[in-house]
Amino acid sequence: MDKKIALTTARLLVEDLSGKVESPETDRLDFYLSDPKNLIVAAAGLRVKHLGYLAAITGYDPGSDQEILEVLYHFCTGYATITLRVTIPKTSPKIQTLTEIIPGAEPFERELSEMYGVEVIGLRNPDHLYLPDDWPGGVYPLRKDFQAQILEESR
Amino acid sequence: MGAKMQTNKTDGKFTVPIGPQHPALKEPAFFSINVDGEIVTNAYVRLGYAHRGIEKAAEDRNWVQTLYLLERICGICSHIHSTAYCLGVEKLAGMEVPPRAQAIRVLVAELERIHSHLLWLGVASHEAGFDTLFMYSWRDRETVMDILEGLTGNRVNYSANLLGGVKYDIDSAQADSIRQGLEFLQERLNYYLGIVTSDALFLKRTRGIGRMTRNQAEVLGAVGPTARASNVARDIRIEAPYSAYEHFHVSIILETNGDLEARFVVRIKEMLESCRLINEILDSLPEGELVMRMKRRINPGETVVRVEAPRGELFYFIKSNGTDKPERIKVRTPTICNMSSVVKLAIGSQLADVPVILAGIDPCFSCNDRSVHIDHRSSKTCRWTWEELRKYGIRYYNGDHS
Repeated sequence: MDKKIALTTARLLVEDLSGKVESPETDRLDFYLSDPKNLIVAAAGLRVKHLGYLAAITGYDPGSDQEILEVLYHFCTGYATITLRVTIPKTSPKIQTLTEIIPGAEPFERELSEMYGVEVIGLRNPDHLYLPDDWPGGVYPLRKDFQAQILEESR
Repeated sequence: MGAKMQTNKTDGKFTVPIGPQHPALKEPAFFSINVDGEIVTNAYVRLGYAHRGIEKAAEDRNWVQTLYLLERICGICSHIHSTAYCLGVEKLAGMEVPPRAQAIRVLVAELERIHSHLLWLGVASHEAGFDTLFMYSWRDRETVMDILEGLTGNRVNYSANLLGGVKYDIDSAQADSIRQGLEFLQERLNYYLGIVTSDALFLKRTRGIGRMTRNQAEVLGAVGPTARASNVARDIRIEAPYSAYEHFHVSIILETNGDLEARFVVRIKEMLESCRLINEILDSLPEGELVMRMKRRINPGETVVRVEAPRGELFYFIKSNGTDKPERIKVRTPTICNMSSVVKLAIGSQLADVPVILAGIDPCFSCNDRSVHIDHRSSKTCRWTWEELRKYGIRYYNGDHS
């Protein structure tokens, strides 16, 4: 699909669900979803319109002094990358699973869950994907406040 | 790991754990495979045995150190990781890399694709019991390894990229030796293409096996040669040309069958296309500088980089906070996309076909050591190595179903 058409269609589709839309690069469009609940609707819309496949889910912790975590869902189609950005509170980070509409999302969501401590609601297999089975509970390595010493102490 | 073989007495189904360690082959992964007699009814995968926390480590290093770190994510496709990273950082810094450097980057990337696909050709034919092809393809792979060593001094982890360009130039003597090597490879590849599509015994192990339809490939998010063998036109070099691919065009290689045979054909044809592209680059290598000076601090911002690794789309998300260290680097390798597809493909197939189906996606960790197998007919329990499972597959297809 042509880059312009893809980005325009995505904008029509997801703009109402977003608080803010940015185009950081010509081939990218970032939607800051106003509510985490909008994620499923937005992703389903992109899926139905064949606006790319889920290329990756990026978790991001803006810092120990921040109260939020950010989750980025990157959809790639031909030349364009459409990113759905969801902000969730660090105190109870929860997000709905995408596996119902995109089965391939499972490994990405399992990674997000173990690396950032985000609870993915509805994920059929929430076990560790990358981290060892004896990894201490409540320790999330990609959070900014992660200290490696905690692994020594837990042994 | 709790990798226990489980027997469900009520319905006579068994769980066969495979992996994770293997000292000889590539990398570790664990598969838990449920079988009903010979037929696989369900399969699960557990990764992470080679997880080194590189995304976290990158946050503690400066931009230059991170380049060397990321190049070590993979020993087979190291160059494409450093290329993706360099492209991203250069984009954030607003730098234009000289055309000659871009062409050399792409040239090394295509040499890497040939070496990776030849490696795969050997591994996959070995798993299918065709060791002659394995030995021939690995012998021929030495040709491309020698070319890479001649260019960069290294057989793997070539370290050809720098932030802002490349380290190594190509002179006319090197260009001639590359052309010579490629001529030999092209002749061999055409021969292999004939073999994998005509050898009756080999076709029994590949034709119609591990079939993935176009729709499945799209829904499961398969990438690279695995997707292209199912007629999904997904190739970043064509869809979103980066670096020198904007000037040197690649033709997409597609097959329609989606079975193992198609994956062999796609990869061999891709190597031939790579040879053609390398020759084209050598013939019209732009003149000019090799590297630009790069600043230590990178402007704050975010960027997404997508490149075509030998196994498929490699995705990088890079976020800079304006200091000399990256804020966040997300790496999504192609194998993880193809892994969920292979797990689905295994369902409904013969246990004997599992090794070659796994190898079919060219996983970056195709090695699986121990597997426990129970013969439910004789209630005999035995522990199998990956090698024994492979041999069992070959025996099974020789008509020995004992």
